[in-house]
Amino acid sequence: MRSWHLNRRTFLLGSGISMALPYMEAMGNQTAASELPARMCAMYFPFGVGMPKEGSDLHKWRWFPNGEGKNFTFNESLKPLESVRESVTIIGGMSHPNGRRMGGHDTGDTFLTGALFDKTLLHNTVSVDQVAAAVVGSQTRYSSITMSTDGGVGEPTRSSTLSYDIKGRPIPAMNQPLMIFNRLFGLADEDLKRQQRRLRSASSMLDLVREDSNSLRRKLGRQDQEKLDEYLSSVRQIEQRVRRTQRWLDIPLPLLTDEERSMLKLESDAEAPKEYMRTMYDLMWLAFKSDSTRVATYQIASMADASSVAGPFPFREGFKANLHTLAHGWNKPEGAVALGKWDKFMTEQLTYFLQRLKSTQEGDGTLLDRTMVLHGCSNSTTHNNNNYPLIFAGGNKLGLQHNHYVKVGSDVPMSNLFVTMLDKMGVEAPVFADSTGELAPIHT
Amino acid sequence: MLRRHSLSLKMLHLVLLLSIGTSGIVQAAKPPSSRLYRLTILPVLQSKCYPCHGSETQEGNIRLDNLGWGSSVELSDLVTWQKTKEMLDKGSMPPKDADELTVGQRTILSRWIDGEVQRIKTQLKNTTGRVVLRRLNRLEYQNTMRDLLKFDMDYARDLPSDSLSPDGFRNNGGSLQISAAQLEYYLNAARRGLDRVIVTGTAPEVFTHKFETSNVGGKWFNYEVSNYLGRWQGFYGKMVDEYPEQGNYRIRVKARAEIPENRGAPVMEVSVGYRPDTEQIWKVTQTIELTTEASTIYEFTGRVENHPLPVRGQGKFPGLVVRVLNQYDDGAGKPKEVELQRDGKKKKGFPSEQGYPVIHIESVEFKGPVFDKWPPLHHRNILFESELRTTDEQAYVRQVLIRFLRRAYRRPATDIEIQKFLRFYTSIRPDFPSLEEAIKETLAMALISPPFLFLLEPVQNKKRELTDWEMASRLSYFLWSTMPDEKLFELAAAGQLSKPAVLSAQVDRMLRDPRGWRFVTQFTDQWLKLENTAQIAIDTSTYRGFKINLKEEMLQETRHFFQHLMLTDRSALNLLDSGFTMLNEPLARHYGVAGVYGQGFREVALKEEGRGGLLGHSSVLMLGSTGRDSHPIRRAVWIRDRLLNDPPPSPPADVPDLDESNPEFAKLSVREQLEVHRNKESCASCHRGIDPWGIALEHYDAIGKFRTDVKSKPVVATDILPNGQELRGAASLKQYLINHRSEDFSRALVTRLSIYALGRDIQLSDEDLLDDLTNDFIRRDYRILGLIKGIVSSDAFRTK
Repeated sequence: MRSWHLNRRTFLLGSGISMALPYMEAMGNQTAASELPARMCAMYFPFGVGMPKEGSDLHKWRWFPNGEGKNFTFNESLKPLESVRESVTIIGGMSHPNGRRMGGHDTGDTFLTGALFDKTLLHNTVSVDQVAAAVVGSQTRYSSITMSTDGGVGEPTRSSTLSYDIKGRPIPAMNQPLMIFNRLFGLADEDLKRQQRRLRSASSMLDLVREDSNSLRRKLGRQDQEKLDEYLSSVRQIEQRVRRTQRWLDIPLPLLTDEERSMLKLESDAEAPKEYMRTMYDLMWLAFKSDSTRVATYQIASMADASSVAGPFPFREGFKANLHTLAHGWNKPEGAVALGKWDKFMTEQLTYFLQRLKSTQEGDGTLLDRTMVLHGCSNSTTHNNNNYPLIFAGGNKLGLQHNHYVKVGSDVPMSNLFVTMLDKMGVEAPVFADSTGELAPIHT
Repeated sequence: MLRRHSLSLKMLHLVLLLSIGTSGIVQAAKPPSSRLYRLTILPVLQSKCYPCHGSETQEGNIRLDNLGWGSSVELSDLVTWQKTKEMLDKGSMPPKDADELTVGQRTILSRWIDGEVQRIKTQLKNTTGRVVLRRLNRLEYQNTMRDLLKFDMDYARDLPSDSLSPDGFRNNGGSLQISAAQLEYYLNAARRGLDRVIVTGTAPEVFTHKFETSNVGGKWFNYEVSNYLGRWQGFYGKMVDEYPEQGNYRIRVKARAEIPENRGAPVMEVSVGYRPDTEQIWKVTQTIELTTEASTIYEFTGRVENHPLPVRGQGKFPGLVVRVLNQYDDGAGKPKEVELQRDGKKKKGFPSEQGYPVIHIESVEFKGPVFDKWPPLHHRNILFESELRTTDEQAYVRQVLIRFLRRAYRRPATDIEIQKFLRFYTSIRPDFPSLEEAIKETLAMALISPPFLFLLEPVQNKKRELTDWEMASRLSYFLWSTMPDEKLFELAAAGQLSKPAVLSAQVDRMLRDPRGWRFVTQFTDQWLKLENTAQIAIDTSTYRGFKINLKEEMLQETRHFFQHLMLTDRSALNLLDSGFTMLNEPLARHYGVAGVYGQGFREVALKEEGRGGLLGHSSVLMLGSTGRDSHPIRRAVWIRDRLLNDPPPSPPADVPDLDESNPEFAKLSVREQLEVHRNKESCASCHRGIDPWGIALEHYDAIGKFRTDVKSKPVVATDILPNGQELRGAASLKQYLINHRSEDFSRALVTRLSIYALGRDIQLSDEDLLDDLTNDFIRRDYRILGLIKGIVSSDAFRTK
């Protein structure tokens, strides 16, 4: 077998959970250790949702609710959310202004970045989760986790990850439940071991370099000493950060209860979408619950429909089309019903996750009260890059107001929502991409 | 004999600030002339100067009455005194409409200031005039890593860009900072590089593909696809599964060419990339001109991982693609698509045009990864083959370290250093699975250590001569922006570099080496501020058909011009005015010069009057524009600052820029706008000395083309300098510069070149050096090469 003929699953390992030092540039405010943590996660799916004409026979399959503000009712697709309504806001009318200038197929990559691709090399910019991770990441074993159904990074405009580092490079996503589990709670794999080794050697390397530079310093004139001092203080800063990260090597991995272990279906894969999605949600929930990380992303399906293992998800759940074809039926009578039912299926899985978070006590509230959950798409219907269907849930005890259907104009960029999320994560005076301020209606 | 020039106000200020460090105050001894000051100087100042520059009013923002003098002097005070003396000497102060100074008063005041300034300069001289410990800048780091590891990749991709020095240079020790984030990037880049350079495992499979026709059909890539490449036509070879993910690749294109008369040769661009879906991503391997019609094999090399790569199993259009395009462009734009007959079907495509350069592709071969043997050379350069490796790992690693550190530190490492690295290796080795993995970390330590990151020349209080190793580094970073090559190392090891004849021969060798182009681009771009053209967006509604890639050609003209003067040993006064320039076909078309074909730059005689010298280069003229129209003030400031080293003071904060948005104002020609400006009393005093320099170039628009009208009115390019000199257009300006300001220009060029060569600001203590260099430069007919040799053999360059 040739080296590249490896099983696809094995091939797309990726470093979606990493112990490497987070980039420094976005270092900001950090919450005090005694406070309960704030967390965030984001999920994405492609090709929009069902939006049959208002008032038509098919109205009940409209994804967006009826009414506005506090007075709204769910249609069929979002009905499962009724049980967690107190912790949910539906946002309508929102999109990335830059996304509106790009192709309808090409906005999946920028869902969490708000970037405008340059046409030559399709460069992206940092995603909101990584900005948060740069600030809170050093307080947990892993600064963030990045997951997707396809794994890896995919190709530009058809990426299979939602996360981009400070330099705008895609962060490979992990797609195998067992591997994610091992990173979080089990045996370290080769990649993680290598990271750990290099963390240890960096520590003694910096120590030696500093020692050596101190003796060099004595051989220099005053002006050169001042320059070398800049260098030395940089060495000391990195040393401190290495030490902080290294601390985790000595802290045992969190132990899971038997119940938690038996619940996990770590062998599940994309062949059984419902089970697979729930397992991914379970892993995210466990990661949060054990405070292994406070930041997570999960791309449920990507724009690369034909070549994505998530493309046939609806087939596997008994629908008659793949995701892309299903989505194209949004304005045909039969198609709208099928798509609506699919939308509802997706909402049910999300609700499962929200319920899990809600049923876990933390301090005087629940895990959901301190976890922001964003779930949505960068198309309203098939390939329209505006009016993203967005569900924003959780974080009531972080100062968020829910139980709203918030409609905004096209002048409010989605980055404003990110600014609000970053603010709740403890980032001081956040700005993000093309943001113009906080998202007022949900922010208290 | 040259008169002593005073340094510009702003520069002097910064120079002093740096040379004195952070204290901000020069502790001067009590001046012996304090009695003189009280009885003679102060009364003159009080009666003649303070009325306009005192507590009540501060003309030109200059206030003299509160300047400290005597026991301590604020830096800014010293600068102001220096400027005051200059004004006195020139006779510009007091102004004509004010109370005159007697000749005696003027002389005594001037001499007194001069004496005091000199006294402080002398005091400074003993402790300053040294290169500050400077780190490699972004470009130097990239070049050094590549040359050290003998492996081409983007090491510097994460590094922030370097800050400019006060004089606009990027290699200034004082301005180059280091931060924790940056140090972390150095560590990451070192690990990233070493992970590639040092390989593990067995030799990878080699893939070879030979394409005789395009295997990607139709117009899938927006280009007509065939073996016949007229303009906008391409050849595509797609490798679906069998291609490498990393390593060197080699592409051989066998092709014939048609080179019609009176047109250039076809331009072959070879790229590697792919199509993720609706968009495509390419990275160009190389672009060459086919100058022979005969069937020829052209070879291109690169590294696979430096190109965009498809992700196996995830792409809709799987496969890595080699693309060959004919990028010949006569400026007329894309031809119209027509109905073509192909494979028995009618299809739209680009026509076969008569009389255009054509490439006939015979075959395209891709091979990769290519290596002489396994492990590849870049690996063996570090982990050399030796029995020692198995018999005595410690001794082997010691040898590896000695070899590597000599090149990384640019001098032999000391025993103590080698011991330290060896100790580190031994301490981490048990934690690592192999010698390779542990050695990577050990070498990474060298790559974040000061002797690698900085041009380290340890010296305490007394100045000393540089060692030969240090000289080798100074030379190579000056002329090549990288580490010394083996030849320089050899000479350093043999103690030869301190010999004047050897030094001179090395300068010749280095500047004629292809790496010498780095000096040309770095120095001309930074001296002339050519980098700033990137910020000027050419307004394509005014300049229809202007192509953005012409900007780069414009810069190339200026760089080639400088290099040509230097290597053909011609007078640098050609920079002020010349009978020739350097052109290639696109640029010749831009200037309307006929008969220049091909992409290469060559000397072309100028027929257009007033076009000679830098001030006729469209790069420089564009720099002095808004992108829509000329900007005479920018051009004027550029001449005074860059060519004469006499920048006018910055405008006060409350002065508005020329307001293009005001419709009434916008109707006026720039010249008329400037009149409005100059009629304002607050602006006039400075602008009388600025505007004429730019007005003289008004015949050139924002892209450097000649014009007779501007906004439907005839161009007026005549104005008068404050000294009474009338400038009538570009030719007259250049005449004036050559006849009357060549000394100033020489001094300016000498100063800026010295700043770049030394990697630090010029200080007061350097004035003698600059005087000597300038005198020599003028006496020897303004030869740049000679000047460079003069600089590298000067004490300033050879000592620390």
